[in-house]
Amino acid sequence: MRQFRSLFALLAIAGLALPATVQSQQPRYGGELVFPVPSEPPSYDGHREETFGLIHPFAPFYNTLLRVDPNDPSGTKPVPSLAESWTVSKDGLTYTFKLHKGVKFHDGSDMTSRDVKASYDKIIFPPPGVGSTRKGQYAVVQAVEAPDASTVVFKLKWASASFLAGLASPWNFIYKADILAKEPNWYEKNIMGTGPFTFIEHVKGSHVVGKKFAGYWDKGKPYLEGFRAIFMRDSAAQVAAVRGERAHIQFRSFTSKDRDNLKAALGDKITVQESDWDCILMVGVNHKKKPFDDKRVRRALTLALDRHAGSKALSQIAIVKAVAGVQVPGTPFATPPAELNKLAGYGTDINKSRAEAKRLLKEAGVPEGFSFTFSNRGIPMPYEPLGVWMIDQWRQIGLNVKHNVIESRAYFPFIRKGEAEVHMDFQCGYIVEPDLDMYKFLSTSRNPANYGYYEDPVLDQLYDKQSRATNLEERKAAIRAFEKRLLDEEAHYLMTLQWNRIIPHSSKVKGWTITPSHYLNNTLDTVWLTE
Amino acid sequence: MAFYILKRLLAMIPTMLGVAVLIFLLLRVVPGDAVEARYLGEGGQYQSQELMQMERKKLGLDQPLWKQFVTWMAGLARLDFGLSMWTGAPISEEIELRFALSLQLAIMASTLATLLAIPLGILAAIKQDTWIDYAVRVFSIAGLAMPSFWLGILMILSMLIFFKWLPPMVFTPLWVNPWENLAQLIWPALAVGYRYSAVGTRMMRSSMLEVLREDYIRTARAKGLWLKLILSRHAVKNAILPVLTIISLEFAFLLGGLVVTEQVFNLNGLGMLFVEAIARRDYTLTQALVMLVATFFLIVNFVVDIAYAWLDPRIRYR
Repeated sequence: MRQFRSLFALLAIAGLALPATVQSQQPRYGGELVFPVPSEPPSYDGHREETFGLIHPFAPFYNTLLRVDPNDPSGTKPVPSLAESWTVSKDGLTYTFKLHKGVKFHDGSDMTSRDVKASYDKIIFPPPGVGSTRKGQYAVVQAVEAPDASTVVFKLKWASASFLAGLASPWNFIYKADILAKEPNWYEKNIMGTGPFTFIEHVKGSHVVGKKFAGYWDKGKPYLEGFRAIFMRDSAAQVAAVRGERAHIQFRSFTSKDRDNLKAALGDKITVQESDWDCILMVGVNHKKKPFDDKRVRRALTLALDRHAGSKALSQIAIVKAVAGVQVPGTPFATPPAELNKLAGYGTDINKSRAEAKRLLKEAGVPEGFSFTFSNRGIPMPYEPLGVWMIDQWRQIGLNVKHNVIESRAYFPFIRKGEAEVHMDFQCGYIVEPDLDMYKFLSTSRNPANYGYYEDPVLDQLYDKQSRATNLEERKAAIRAFEKRLLDEEAHYLMTLQWNRIIPHSSKVKGWTITPSHYLNNTLDTVWLTE
Repeated sequence: MAFYILKRLLAMIPTMLGVAVLIFLLLRVVPGDAVEARYLGEGGQYQSQELMQMERKKLGLDQPLWKQFVTWMAGLARLDFGLSMWTGAPISEEIELRFALSLQLAIMASTLATLLAIPLGILAAIKQDTWIDYAVRVFSIAGLAMPSFWLGILMILSMLIFFKWLPPMVFTPLWVNPWENLAQLIWPALAVGYRYSAVGTRMMRSSMLEVLREDYIRTARAKGLWLKLILSRHAVKNAILPVLTIISLEFAFLLGGLVVTEQVFNLNGLGMLFVEAIARRDYTLTQALVMLVATFFLIVNFVVDIAYAWLDPRIRYR
């Protein structure tokens, strides 16, 4: 009887608690989300621009064909958006997408496959005089077809493992075909999409306002009445805005110190979400400069870095944290730590690594106290602390390094001249996908943005192999081989530490999940405010 | 006098031409251009040379330098600043957006500086070496020692910690909502105005001390004139000249020079626009802003020179 009583008591508690839990998770309608944006884009055209300053305030006005699952913290799973479903032919060369019916543009007109085709034609096959910054990413596409109003077909030149991820790109806004036909550059200065919010105003240098689109195709969404994105360059002002409860969230990232200060000041009013960030600084070694044409010297440079100790120390003061290879740790294609630690410079015994580094330098004829210049970009976070850290690490194997800091905008023009000996390079991805993350390291003849200036046909072949692999395990194996050759055997590039994304936001904000990319999850259709 | 004014006005033309040549050349010496700034910045290192060349052609950057200069000067002669290389919007539109805020802030800060500097400087001078003088000197030295942006940060933190309040983050014009407008701009005006009042106070004090030792002041006192009359009619009018110059030049500077303060208070003003235009290698916008600020300086200088003649009839222009 006592047991029954306990059971009843438990059920009663559960019965009382359940509705409360459900209620707290039940999205609430209304409210205006306010968020600072640290950068402002030159134009409104997602097909053309590069900055997250475009995505954060303007993505809510648009939809893409696919999107990255907004609830998946790994940020790697393409899910339907304007496309309702898709099929892939057996040979992997034809992708057929069925579109949602009843999708309206903000001007009231219907969105059809013609609009999807026109948008992708603009991205992949831009007409003369139209700039498309991502044309190269879709080199695999042979043609885009619209056989009927609700079907879009992509014909590929070869099977591609990353094609679906490419279609989930947050940049590929679907524009209206009729407008593009009249004026292909119209979207640079105007906004009109199918997204959950309609455009109200943009005061340059100040703010962007969006209002809920009553005719949104995904019934029941969005939950917010509107949003206000405020351009705010100064990070202290952004933190103050969240602390003063003038803003709910900043979607890029804050530092660990900002997080701690906000948490200390606001307690439970702040919720913190953290993730490894799909951005990394890496060291480019100019193979055209002696002695860096010798792989023993390059291996010595990477062996000198105590990444594990660096991770602990630097994560306290900079926005970096995890020890990583060519993929964001914890994502489907990332090398597990135990395996990664076998690569040169990733081992846990730093004394052994440095002894090997010294031996290699001696063998290559590099004298003790050898001096070279390390060029770094004039951005305080995290370039500066990482640069200082690396110079100290190299000093410990007897190298004397001069730190040459170059103003941010002048940096890449300088690096492209090919004069730098060793320099800091970086990349940020909009989705964790090996094709995108590893493209940087292809031979310079295939990718002129490889500032290591090397030719490595073996590496290129491994890239192509993983890119065209249709079998998951086969792809993983090719990625591992690529990583080993890039970072260990040839040491073409040296990885530093993965960035760490920290979003401390108002606890009133619900329905938003952090991912490794600050370009993702900004459509705001799933976001709601508790009050 | 009329001849002097005409001469000064004509002298502005070669000065402006000099500024134009200098800024045009200096900008092109700095590495990079608007196209590189746009595509080689954040993540965008993968652009083809064809795309870059196409963008350069659109902006006229493929033209020889002399041709770019002539095109720009021809536009200036028609008061047409052209289009921003970054946004493609008319430059007049870009400046107009920020001008109201910067002008209002400059007026508020200068007014505050004048209202503080002149009475405090006079008071310190006539009460020389008393506790009042010492207090004013401490007040002004503190103002000189504290950068206005730092004072701004302190103000924001104090408001946050003690009152859990922050000024509005978006500019509202005075005629739309005076309360919102003042709630946003009074704080930067105080931070900047205090800094400039400190310079003015010290200048007013030393200038007054000098004037108070002049023979004509001694004569006036010997005649038994009332002190207030001596100060207002004879001393202040003469002592104010250097203060007027300083405050006027500061006013011109405030229009485009409040970069860090604008950043701290998140103000959408000309100072931030200036810095961003330079960082983005937006040649056309930077050139326009430099010409605008240079024009302000010339006009303010000119007005101050004319005001000198009115304030001090001993000054004669030929």
